[in-house]
Amino acid sequence: MYNVGFRIVNNADEAKDVLQEAFISAFNNLETYRGDSAFGAWLKRIVVNKAINLVRRRRFERLPDHENFDVKEESPVDELEGYPFEVEKVRKAIERLPDGYRVVLSLYLLEGYDHSEIGEILGIAESTSKSQFNRSKKKLKEILEGGML
Amino acid sequence: MNDSLKEFINKNREGFDTQTPPESAWHQVDASLPRATKQIFLNSISFWRAAAILLLGLSSYLFFSKANSNSDKRDVAALQGFNDLESYYSLQIKEKMTLVNRFQSQTGLTEDDITQNLKKLEAMYLVLKDEMKKRPTQDVRDALVLNLLVRIDLINQQLNKLDQPSQKEEEKSL
Repeated sequence: MYNVGFRIVNNADEAKDVLQEAFISAFNNLETYRGDSAFGAWLKRIVVNKAINLVRRRRFERLPDHENFDVKEESPVDELEGYPFEVEKVRKAIERLPDGYRVVLSLYLLEGYDHSEIGEILGIAESTSKSQFNRSKKKLKEILEGGML
Repeated sequence: MNDSLKEFINKNREGFDTQTPPESAWHQVDASLPRATKQIFLNSISFWRAAAILLLGLSSYLFFSKANSNSDKRDVAALQGFNDLESYYSLQIKEKMTLVNRFQSQTGLTEDDITQNLKKLEAMYLVLKDEMKKRPTQDVRDALVLNLLVRIDLINQQLNKLDQPSQKEEEKSL
């Protein structure tokens, strides 16, 4: 759960705050867990929501929303095909992504949410999530190929 | 369309969970939870195992304890609405257990760890219910709710487990 929060807020101290808030909130709201999904998924969603709220509060960079992002879906070309990935480098490159890109990419690739669920979590359209994900991969490619890692 | 990044991450998923929370992360959580149940959160890896242990401990404590039987007004107020909650969760358990039993009879699977744990939790629940009648407090109520939630989670696990062979068969047939 700490890793889930960390990937969204990208800061160890804030990830700790998220974890604490989420666990306390989960305990205090145990009665709202209806048992229609796995308990882990319920708890993870609380962590994700707390982390996203924290990023939103920062206001340094905005998460994708309808006003700021073109919702047109971009062609999902696999620009990273054949790229010699290394776990450490990919992990560091993800940490270097701007908030909006990192959040969508992490939720989709690492936390296992689909674009419909990401849209619901972030309050954006499913197509915006897809578009933002494609852009985040382009940005990730730039970082990986930039030789800064 | 293949996604090579997605494939790479899926193959190396564990390599992306490298961060560990500092020890101090638990202090505030620990301080914010009711004394009887805060141990649940100290070990996130074995959350439900810890919950089951806690329930066992709490059940034993309540069973043998000569604790004060006078519940205060706050406890009484907190207990209101419990019956609705219990009915809701109990219905879910009943419906899901019907599915589990149907699956098991169809597949010929016999009792395993999960079903044994479910029986133990059900036994603990009866002890807690008895305690609830004698000394209805917030702690007993929380333990009862937690017991129901743990059982629902175990049943969900069991259903997923039982459903796996049929999923594999479907994949094979595609």
